[in-house]
Amino acid sequence: MRVLWNELKKILTWKMLILLIFINSVLYFLLIEFDIKHFPNGSHSYSYEMGIEMIEKYGTTMDDDEFIDFKRTYAHQVEDATQYLQSREEFVEEGLDTYEKFLAYDWWNASEEIYALRSNVFFEEKVELFWELQERERLLKFYEMKDVVPDVLSKKKKQRLEELIAQEKFGIYPEVVMMNFKTFIANVGIAILFSVVLVISPAILKDRSRQLVAIQYTTKKGRNLFKTKILAGIIATFIVITALLAVYFSLYSLNNTSMYFDVRVNTFIANESWFDPTFFQFILLCIAGIYIIGLVLGLLSMAFSTLVPNMVSLIGIQIPFVVGFLIIGLYPLLPEMISIWHPKWLSMISYCAMIIIVIIFTAILWKREKKLDIL
Amino acid sequence: MIVVKDVSKQYGDFTALQNVDLEFGNGLYGLLAPNGAGKTTLIKMLATLISPTKGEIFYNGKNINDMDDQYRERLGYLPQQFGYYKNYSPKQYLLYLAALKGIGKKEALNKIDELLEKVALSDVVNKKMKKFSGGMIQRVGIAQALLNDPEILILDEPTAGLDPKERARFRHLLTDLARDRLVIISTHIVSDIESIANEIIMIRNKQLLYKDSVADICATLNGCVFETTIDYGQLEDFRKNNILLSEKQEYGQMTVRFIHKGNSEDEWTSVPPQLEDVFLYEYRDELEGEN
Repeated sequence: MRVLWNELKKILTWKMLILLIFINSVLYFLLIEFDIKHFPNGSHSYSYEMGIEMIEKYGTTMDDDEFIDFKRTYAHQVEDATQYLQSREEFVEEGLDTYEKFLAYDWWNASEEIYALRSNVFFEEKVELFWELQERERLLKFYEMKDVVPDVLSKKKKQRLEELIAQEKFGIYPEVVMMNFKTFIANVGIAILFSVVLVISPAILKDRSRQLVAIQYTTKKGRNLFKTKILAGIIATFIVITALLAVYFSLYSLNNTSMYFDVRVNTFIANESWFDPTFFQFILLCIAGIYIIGLVLGLLSMAFSTLVPNMVSLIGIQIPFVVGFLIIGLYPLLPEMISIWHPKWLSMISYCAMIIIVIIFTAILWKREKKLDIL
Repeated sequence: MIVVKDVSKQYGDFTALQNVDLEFGNGLYGLLAPNGAGKTTLIKMLATLISPTKGEIFYNGKNINDMDDQYRERLGYLPQQFGYYKNYSPKQYLLYLAALKGIGKKEALNKIDELLEKVALSDVVNKKMKKFSGGMIQRVGIAQALLNDPEILILDEPTAGLDPKERARFRHLLTDLARDRLVIISTHIVSDIESIANEIIMIRNKQLLYKDSVADICATLNGCVFETTIDYGQLEDFRKNNILLSEKQEYGQMTVRFIHKGNSEDEWTSVPPQLEDVFLYEYRDELEGEN
């Protein structure tokens, strides 16, 4: 236990902690801050509020009766909008005395004066009713198209959409929360995975480049120390991931999305998925994904650290490897891991393959280390 | 007792050691050879850091690699170049290694105080090692090798970086230690071991040349070592006809020590051979190559 503790202390030093804070601060301001500070952003705030209203009023699914109620609310708001337009002389003078006329107007070819009126409603006076109506119309359109299966889709994707229709799981809840979370978790993934690689990479190389191995391997503990170093690396990876997740999810809690937690992922607009967890379960799935990818990258970093001759080679291998993974693998394996836009078993097979490869790789390295001549 | 049985080591096409047979009992053994002769290879094999390509090494009849930690817990080893953590104090460093050696923390703390006293570092116990001189680091290295009170102590070039006073202290320490354990010192500095080693092991051309007492090894040159005084002008010719061991300027002339096998001349004084004479004689080709 003392040996493990010592190895852990060697990885998680104060210097490393400061570097970690620095790197994460930079990545936070570059990648993550926007999705926390500006959520919901602009007109998305009406989507966000409407989603909450739908959940509170209809629950996490909407049947036809509830849809009729939704339409009724829309009709009331249209009346309110008509009253508003009629109360404004300038709109009446231009013949826009009902909301239907306002909506049907050819705004692309409108004169500057009339367009200025519209801008006045939306952007200067910011009449919420008009924004809400826009959002409601968008949601109504999605509801009306709920049974449509596009022809261009592959057979399996069509099959999945038909299954969802049969189960009455339609994409009708505003997608803003899901989109925000997906962007957030992808960027958090980048920050955490970079941090793991940064902390773990030098773990084994440092002792070797300091010529400590000869003394370490001739002690009673001997070459088994390699296994302890790997274990310490795994624990350090776990600690780094957990600490950063705690920080980033504390920040995410400011987005106040808990009302959406029970909504199934397939009932968010344009979020058709192979499986159907709730939004909260999807968050947990992404967290599990980060732990798995983090531990895999941590172990691979230690493997590279065992094989390369010096720090320059280590950086040379790690940067293209990690950046390549983040570009190619991060989205399909994290925010889009169950999306129907990727093959159903891609993420599952990728995760299993990564775990198996890294276990085999580590076992090979241990076998090599047991026999290796320490020159 | 350690038995090295028909051990060879090859790195690809390069042979570092060939068919070496040795036996070590308690006492102090000096492994003496020029750099690159294979000393470190043999030492590293005894320390289980390198596996022999051929042959086996036994400790009390058991293969040392099969004994695994049972062998290593009896072993104290100081590599030729060893690492340390710059921000650790000697105490922290030795505590770290004590954990690896399976020594309890309380026991280790007592032992560390005792050892740092022995290597004259008790006044810098808690100072960071990054401020230490080469000699101080080497003394920490010696202390770590002694942490587990080893039955087998293997030291590779242990006096590197030590000043003459420290070397003398170190020789006393080794003499004490070798009374009840096996100590093997690898060095290319004859004076480090000449006066203290029970036996000297010399390796040449990858093979064992001598394993004998200092007296017996020196006896191989009995009657062949001379000293004489010559003029500068004669020096070139003298070098061609004899094997020069040392040259010294004195009163405008050269006093030379040399080896000559055959009839001696009257003005030559026969002197008793020293271990250094044998070393310089046996490794003359390698040493000339180095120069």
